[in-house]
Amino acid sequence: MASPNTMNILTNDEVLCQQALAQLHHVIDPEIGLNVVDLGLIYELHFDEDPKKITCRMTLTSQFCPMGDVIVDSAHQALQQALPHHQAEIQLTFEPPWSRDMLSAAGREFLNR
Amino acid sequence: MIVTPGSSTHTSSRVVIPFYVYAALCFLLSAVLLLLSADVFQQHYFHPKILAITHLMAIGWGTMVILGASHQLVPVICEGKLYSEKLAYVSFALAAIGIPILVYGFFTFNMGNPAKWGGRFVVLAFLSYLINLGKTIANGKSENVHAIFVFTSVFWLFLTAFFGLALVYNFTYPLMPHDSLHYLPLHAHAGVVGWFLLLVIGVGSRLIPMFLISKYSNPKLLWVIYFGINGALISYIFIFYFVDNYIWTFVPGLLLLISILLFVRYAYQAFHYRIRKQVDDPMRLSLLSVTMAVLPIFLLIVIIVSMVVAAHEKTNVVLAYGFMIFFGWITAIILGMTFKTLPFIVWNKIYHNRAAFKNTPNPKDLVSSLLFKAMGLCYIIGFVLFIVGVLAPVSIYFLQGGALLLVFTAIFYNWNVMQILWHRPTP
Repeated sequence: MASPNTMNILTNDEVLCQQALAQLHHVIDPEIGLNVVDLGLIYELHFDEDPKKITCRMTLTSQFCPMGDVIVDSAHQALQQALPHHQAEIQLTFEPPWSRDMLSAAGREFLNR
Repeated sequence: MIVTPGSSTHTSSRVVIPFYVYAALCFLLSAVLLLLSADVFQQHYFHPKILAITHLMAIGWGTMVILGASHQLVPVICEGKLYSEKLAYVSFALAAIGIPILVYGFFTFNMGNPAKWGGRFVVLAFLSYLINLGKTIANGKSENVHAIFVFTSVFWLFLTAFFGLALVYNFTYPLMPHDSLHYLPLHAHAGVVGWFLLLVIGVGSRLIPMFLISKYSNPKLLWVIYFGINGALISYIFIFYFVDNYIWTFVPGLLLLISILLFVRYAYQAFHYRIRKQVDDPMRLSLLSVTMAVLPIFLLIVIIVSMVVAAHEKTNVVLAYGFMIFFGWITAIILGMTFKTLPFIVWNKIYHNRAAFKNTPNPKDLVSSLLFKAMGLCYIIGFVLFIVGVLAPVSIYFLQGGALLLVFTAIFYNWNVMQILWHRPTP
């Protein structure tokens, strides 16, 4: 059963989630210069054991973001690096649409500078 | 929606970059010609050198850079792929050949083969662009107000070029009841309002909130602006042909002013509701250009008033009006937006597969901030000096000083663009 963790990300395995998030912290939105975790782009990380699979439900700051595929490809790459034995899959969603409320405290501080 | 990695819908940078390079060189050449021909800005606007500079600025600079950027941005706006990269190369090749021939024709006032052949190439370039964009929008997943703005603007671009070619023919074969000078305002406004204004608002209303990280969106307001601008242009054409009283041109003038002010409001709202507080220099210049769009409209009202009251044009005001459009509003938005879009295109080519690495620079790191600041400073002072020189023709030094600073603007712009293009990845 998936439940939100301290980062407000739905997950069914907190330990693997932290491992994945540590790597996702390196994925930067190139325009904003902030990582996708603090931006609040990651909605859910779901882990399956048989077969080993990680499903990442995420969004973008804008549906028309020209850097969208770079961010998605980078997130995919980061998940594969974090959990090499899992097959990574990205599900892109715009429901709910991204908003300021999804920023972490660090993200809010970064954008208010 | 499950996304497969590597399934990019991006147009290849090989398609887009030639447009940017060509446009940058045309801007430099225009500024040099402006400096060498500064004295003609104290004469009538229908002058071969002014015609040449205007077309080099309008097609070589403004249109070419917009063509390049739109091949990249329109597929993103429509959530699809560019219909044909080959057709984009064809558009570039035809325009790249046609523009210098056309400009040479105007500069030497040879309305025979040079202007005609140049015009034919340019019309074919825009026709292939119209087909490419039309098919891209039709095949896209999302049909939105921005895409409609873009398609309508490209349609006006084609009409403007086609009508312009007819005006060139009219010099040697009497195709129309009056001489070509009579129809010049129609040709100029179809291009400036129908092409540039619609395109800039259509794309700008998407890019400004996106780069400001603003959640502001107001499609209803954009539809009002869309009908306002098209209404202004169509009513102007109707008045031009069927109404014999100049006072009626206030109607399209006011419609245009209201539409532009509504877009200024749109941009302000996007700025007000931005999530990122810090606004970078290219965005500042782009936002300044939005307000600069209002300036020519005030001069347009002065022109209409002088036509109604004194029944003659104030030549220097008409010249200042044209200068404010091409070297003012259009140049300002391109100077700003180039350094938001081009770094992305180059960055995407070099770093797409390395975006998740710690030492990967951001797109903005490809731009030299120092060169940008020097460019911006030269541009603003040069623009103001030249306008003063045109409106208050007391000394040629204002025109020459302004033009010289605009040459420096173009040099800094080209330098920064080339620096981005020659960027090599960090090890």
